[in-house]
Amino acid sequence: MDTLTLILLTTISPLACFIIAIIFLVQQPRAAQGLVLCGSAVSLLSAIGLLAQGPVEPLRFLWFQSGAIQLQFGFILDGASLMFGVVVAFITACIMLYSTGYMAHDPGKTRYFAMLSFFAWSMLSFVYAVDLLQSFIFWELVGLSSFFLIGFWFEKPEAAGAARKAFLMTRVGDVGLFIGILLILQLVSNFDIPTLLDPQTGLSTQISPGLLNAITLLIFIGIMGKSAQFPLHTWLPDAMEGPTPVSALLHSATMVAAGVFLMIRLHPLFMAAQDTALIVLSIATFTAILSSTIAMVDTDIKKVLAYSSISQLGFMIMALAAGSLFAGVFHLITHAIFKALLFLCAGIYIHAYHTNSMAEIGRSGGRRLKAATLGLLIGGAALSGVPPLAGFWSKEEIFAQLGHNGFNIYMTGAFLAAFLTAYYTFRMIFLITKPDHTSESDHSHPEPMNMQAPVLLLTLGAILLGFFGTNIANGLGLTAQHHSLLLMIPTVGVVILGILIAYLDYGRNNAPRTGFIGKIAPLNTLFTNKWYIDEVYRITIVAITHALSRILHWTENHILDGNYDRFGLGILRTGAKSTRVQSGWMQLYLGWAIILLAVVALYLGLR
Amino acid sequence: MPLLSSILLTPAITLIILLLMPQKAVRGIRLICAFSGLLTCLLSLQLWMGYDPTTGGIQFEEIIPWVAAIGISYHLGVDGFGVILVMLNAIVYFTGVLTMWDLEDRVKEYFAFMVLLVIGVFGVFMSLDLFFFFFFYEIAVVPMYPLILIWGSGNRAYAGMKLMLFLLAGSALLFPGLLAIYHHAGLNTFDLIALSAHTFDPQFQIFVYPFLYIGFGVLAGLFPFHGWSPTGHVAAPSAVSMLHAGVLMKLGAFGILTVGIRLLPEGAAYWAPTFVVLAVIGIIYGAFVAMRQTDFKFVIGFSSVSHMGIVLLGLNLAILGPVVIDALNGAVFQMFAHGIMTALFFSTAGYIYDKSHSKTIGDFGGLGKQMPRAVSIFIVAGLCGAGLPGLASFWAELLVFLAALKTYPIAGVIVILGLVLTAVYILRVFNLAFFGAPNPKWENLKAQDMSGLHLIPRAILIAVLVIFGFVPRLMLDLINSTTVAFLGNF
Repeated sequence: MDTLTLILLTTISPLACFIIAIIFLVQQPRAAQGLVLCGSAVSLLSAIGLLAQGPVEPLRFLWFQSGAIQLQFGFILDGASLMFGVVVAFITACIMLYSTGYMAHDPGKTRYFAMLSFFAWSMLSFVYAVDLLQSFIFWELVGLSSFFLIGFWFEKPEAAGAARKAFLMTRVGDVGLFIGILLILQLVSNFDIPTLLDPQTGLSTQISPGLLNAITLLIFIGIMGKSAQFPLHTWLPDAMEGPTPVSALLHSATMVAAGVFLMIRLHPLFMAAQDTALIVLSIATFTAILSSTIAMVDTDIKKVLAYSSISQLGFMIMALAAGSLFAGVFHLITHAIFKALLFLCAGIYIHAYHTNSMAEIGRSGGRRLKAATLGLLIGGAALSGVPPLAGFWSKEEIFAQLGHNGFNIYMTGAFLAAFLTAYYTFRMIFLITKPDHTSESDHSHPEPMNMQAPVLLLTLGAILLGFFGTNIANGLGLTAQHHSLLLMIPTVGVVILGILIAYLDYGRNNAPRTGFIGKIAPLNTLFTNKWYIDEVYRITIVAITHALSRILHWTENHILDGNYDRFGLGILRTGAKSTRVQSGWMQLYLGWAIILLAVVALYLGLR
Repeated sequence: MPLLSSILLTPAITLIILLLMPQKAVRGIRLICAFSGLLTCLLSLQLWMGYDPTTGGIQFEEIIPWVAAIGISYHLGVDGFGVILVMLNAIVYFTGVLTMWDLEDRVKEYFAFMVLLVIGVFGVFMSLDLFFFFFFYEIAVVPMYPLILIWGSGNRAYAGMKLMLFLLAGSALLFPGLLAIYHHAGLNTFDLIALSAHTFDPQFQIFVYPFLYIGFGVLAGLFPFHGWSPTGHVAAPSAVSMLHAGVLMKLGAFGILTVGIRLLPEGAAYWAPTFVVLAVIGIIYGAFVAMRQTDFKFVIGFSSVSHMGIVLLGLNLAILGPVVIDALNGAVFQMFAHGIMTALFFSTAGYIYDKSHSKTIGDFGGLGKQMPRAVSIFIVAGLCGAGLPGLASFWAELLVFLAALKTYPIAGVIVILGLVLTAVYILRVFNLAFFGAPNPKWENLKAQDMSGLHLIPRAILIAVLVIFGFVPRLMLDLINSTTVAFLGNF
């Protein structure tokens, strides 16, 4: 098949499934589910077909023209989009399959699968977009579908609130991105990504470094919102209110990955803007540490995974800001696989025991769920960076890059975050697999096959993917650097240290089962309260917005509108008063006439 | 038969037939109105197809001299702007009739007034003669009063009175302005084309332009003369709110563009910075005030003030430069997009009101479980209001913001931040009324969700929003040449 057919099949088939399901299949959830799964399979196969064909020239069609602006609609088919497209389609397919089990008894199944399909469409279209504005459109649609999926159980006020928070916070970021994009349009009247990035004639050669820094920073604000970087990260943990497969999708290959992927797309611009790169690096490092510290103390399995997503996204952005496209892409892909895996395992536990608390899951006998526990172990180890699993190789690349460019302080930060990652991940594993006591009876549902299969598939991915680093580098048109053994020692060292302390705190027999951080009370309070960031927002931005709207509402009612009303009423009253003159009482008219005449006569006489 | 006159005569003949029909023939009345609505839609589609954007300019002209002594003639014609606004009016007319299908109270009179309003609006969008322009303008405005007073809800006497007084005050400013133009030109003609060839004295332009801008602006929801609009929307029955916010407010903006800016460009340029400030205030102010409303329709009403601010901003930026073309394209696109979007808003809010007899947001909660279809449709309209890509208003806002950012960067940033505010008040409605635990009080609504015929008008409006959201070329190709020609005149 030719490239155009394949790319259309990849992107359009989920859209078609969405439309058909939402319009015609509301009453037939099973049919909707089957259709959406088929659509997803078609999409995955075509994406693989595209990858097999290898990179080709972008396809472009004129979209519209207004004034000097000409917008193209098209598809960019380079290494990054081809590989990541497959990852997106693959994980979506896995999660849809898994959802047939997880959501089997939900009354809103059609809506659920339709929205998943819509999500897949917007994310895939975002990945392949050739035009920056086209990217932005699908970027927004990704946000919209997340809104609907996070708020899928909208009758729960928490879910509705979480959906709103996610939408608004990412929107704050999007305003920055939007302004950045509009600035680009003004400067060069062009949105075509390959043209913008051209090293000879691209954007960075046409504008001053200051302006480039400003634009890239504005774009990064959008990335901060989407990829949940400090200080716009607080929506992500709340987003755990959605169904667990949705969390798996959102936090592995789609929603949050969109931000990182945009940075991958525009990597040359970020590299040309040196000040931005440094700011981005600092924010990402700080985010990685901040979220790891919260993950250390949280007790909810999904929250821990959510904070770990934030911190791993921080790692990817660190890699990109430090200059390594390959490390960023590699970690994005490996993280997508093992984070989806971890969430799906968490989903099995939650499905079986109806609790999100790690300690509860452990006590209920979580380790008896074999597939989930296997996935948890492998995925957790991969997340921590245990060799030779996927996460080890990609994190290794990031450290190598940081060390290579002499970002020592950031490297220290990254080591700290990696240590914390290993610690909280194994804390989670030990809490689930080595409970302090277990209840005798086992009320769990068995794990259905359609939920086990994706977990096993992703487990395999988490084990093997790390060895494909060279292929990924080649796909990007780069050559992978060989690693110095010297660097591997501290990398593995911090991981082992993290696991060891987690073992002492939670794993060994008669473990205290409280973290070491519990001994430092102020830090513990700070971390348990998520650094009070939500509270700060509440008393600043939220309060200011409310106050302004209250003031203006008052102005409208009492000053603007009130005065119009008073003006109108004044006229009415004047009218009402003056009608008294017209009383129909002859004597009064006569009396007035005489008085008036007398006054006139007097005036004339006296003149 | 000339196309424009056919479009104008279709509702006119409908009106005559309606008046001749017996009071009791309710079904027949509805069918005739729906048929006439559909016919105008098809004719407008023919107009859209027939308009040649490559040559641009005014097409489908018709001239019949009328009162030659003072230079009044029946002169019709449309440029690209006219074409899309005629289309807008036809769509809102047709969907409005379908929305009011269930009306039982004084059906004949209701539709008669509504059709009269539609005639007026079509007339304004096509007239190239100032006399007829003003004549139709008044025809469009006046039926609002009985429509609100008789079929309205809530504080309708107050709302109707307020609306009427504001709009007539606007006309009171307009009328001397238009007469001044007529006399000052000294051409003894009301013909817009002839007048636009005349160059008015700059001092005169500066003096007269505010009369036109504010006079028309009142109808376009210009801050701070917008007070009538939310109050009026709230009290009016659904289809009237649809026509009112969807189309009538565009008359004001259209007047500013085709009379004010076309005839008095220098006056417009002189005043533009001031009016930009008012427009920006309107955008932000409307959004903030909408955030605290407790009534669905008030939220939509203030959102209209905010969104019409974008139209006014675009119009003013089109005179100031340097991104004139995009600014004007955006303003005109926004007129259309906002028209369709508000029609959808009011048609759906009206449906929920008809079934529940409540417009108070706080009365509901979890309505999404009880009326999933109605709520989904409302959500689509809300997302369009929030400027979500994939729906028509995104493009309109994009173009205006682009121009704003170039001309006045600070104003540009402020209005783009307004996008967040819009999302805040829209999501507030969603969360309070549609999400959360279902209120048991409304369990009876489960059986009354939208179905069958009720879905048709909403489906049409959504389809229009989505089509223009993904294929903005349909719009921009049509208006771009008109915009270029329009701006080339001065």
